[in-house]
Amino acid sequence: MRPALCPVAEVHELCSGVFSLWLEAPDIAHRVRPGQFLNVKVSSGPDPLLRRPISVCDVERNRVRLVFRVVGRGTALLSHVRTGDELDVLGPLGRPAPELRHKRILLCGGGIGAAPLLFLARRMKRATHLQVVIGARTKAELLLLKEFRALGVPVAVTTDDGSAGRKGMVTELAEGQVKGQSAPFCHPERAERVEGSLRRDSSTPLRSVSLRDRRNERNDTRRQPSAVFACGPRPMLADLVKRLDPIPIWGFVEERMGCGTGICYCCALPKKGGGHVRFCEEGPVVRLNEVVL
Amino acid sequence: MNPQVIIGRTTFANPVLAASGTFEFGLKFPTVANRLGGVVTKAITLQPRVGNPPPRIYEFPGGILNSVGLENPGLEAFCADVVPRTRKLKCRVVVNIAGFSVAEYGELAARLDSEPVDALELNVSCPNVREGGALFGQQPRVVEAITALVRKRTTKTVIVKLTANFVDPAETAKAAEAGGADGVTLVNTLFGLALDANGRPFLGGRTGGVSGPALKPFALFCVDRVAVAVKMPVIGCGGVMNGEDALDFLSAGARMVQVGTASLVNPEAALDVWTGLKRYVQKNRLSNWDKVVGRARRVGR
Repeated sequence: MRPALCPVAEVHELCSGVFSLWLEAPDIAHRVRPGQFLNVKVSSGPDPLLRRPISVCDVERNRVRLVFRVVGRGTALLSHVRTGDELDVLGPLGRPAPELRHKRILLCGGGIGAAPLLFLARRMKRATHLQVVIGARTKAELLLLKEFRALGVPVAVTTDDGSAGRKGMVTELAEGQVKGQSAPFCHPERAERVEGSLRRDSSTPLRSVSLRDRRNERNDTRRQPSAVFACGPRPMLADLVKRLDPIPIWGFVEERMGCGTGICYCCALPKKGGGHVRFCEEGPVVRLNEVVL
Repeated sequence: MNPQVIIGRTTFANPVLAASGTFEFGLKFPTVANRLGGVVTKAITLQPRVGNPPPRIYEFPGGILNSVGLENPGLEAFCADVVPRTRKLKCRVVVNIAGFSVAEYGELAARLDSEPVDALELNVSCPNVREGGALFGQQPRVVEAITALVRKRTTKTVIVKLTANFVDPAETAKAAEAGGADGVTLVNTLFGLALDANGRPFLGGRTGGVSGPALKPFALFCVDRVAVAVKMPVIGCGGVMNGEDALDFLSAGARMVQVGTASLVNPEAALDVWTGLKRYVQKNRLSNWDKVVGRARRVGR
């Protein structure tokens, strides 16, 4: 597998410190599947030496979208690329997210964690009933809401400060969804508040769910999601497992990697029964119930 | 020219190897492995090992620290599951073995003697395993004893991978030679410590091993020093990122080079190193490797 030089087609800042980058990468665009990532060289020289693994956020014809948060020197360098620059990219890497047979699946994203769930949602929406919950610290940091909306899947949001959606943690909302305790997707008033300035899309069936449907949904346990895909900070993932176990939760794990290709054994996540999961190889989407977070 | 290199009973198609621990077993990228002189496997121990807790890698300008802790499936699983697949590789397969007692090296060597692998590389130098106290590779007497025992238990080519942590590798190389080694690899990673913002050791294994471009000048120094101290071939290792780096190691006296950390950045790095070397050979119409090997001593200074 040889790294490819991919021209940057578009780059912009989604919110403070979070960047969206479209790469012209026909080969990757055709091969990549949800859950996989690209390993990006952020400098041409030996400093930083290692590539930076970034999950694929979306694919559009010959283009691949990466959304990343600036967390260190590597991602800071990456944020300085301009349209027309070429990025040295290795991928797609990692095992694609499993194709679950569950009828209803919840996608739960915290902060930058919403990014890889978008591609997953795009590919999964036809095969299964999806619900999406997204959380962030503030309204400004809620990512990709418009894109999720455009998919026509129900989306609910939370913010730490209550500036949009429900105030609180996204894991609380996820728990409510799975356990059938709340249905914030379809509450008209809340929906208005949640959306705020976001224009309602007529193709979105989200709003069309009536209160009666909501009640039915609440009473019918079969209608609650029976599996979860989650992405976000470690504490969020750990909290989710605590709340929802033993419901299967598949999580996108973020951790320092060496090679990204499974040859160096540097990205290890302890398994509950002992041993490690190499999440560049067996992940990055792993069954969170089976690992120590 | 004929690019082959012979070490002990093993003929390598070219002087570039993938270093232990940085290319797993060569099976992830067989098309790369097949075009190299050989692949050195991850270290194999008698018993399976789960390795160190994460984080296992730390990056600094010019290199990395790792503390994988010899995670591997153990000798029996290796022989049963891995060897049947590595035997299909078209390159030489060198099995890196690590013991926690002198006797374990003997056991590992004896068991692997009947397997279809080409050579053994004795890891007497892994610095981040806290079991067993001092490193075997720090005592010339112990290096000689391990090498002699392995020599007795196997007919395969025996290479000793030396450490340069608080020991003169020229002394341990001489000991390996006295024990019957066919060659030495140097250097393994150097001891390193990384701290987080709170002053706490960053790596799960507490300390790690330094590798990458930052290690190269020191590795080159060691090769230059050891190549004149022993008669057996030296395999250079430490920060080889491209053909020029490899050429430097040959010039310093190495017969072969190993590519390690570079494979983490680009899985085809070892192949690129070989391509770079080949280009140099063609451009300068080299008739054999002797023209460059050890020339740093011949041209003076």
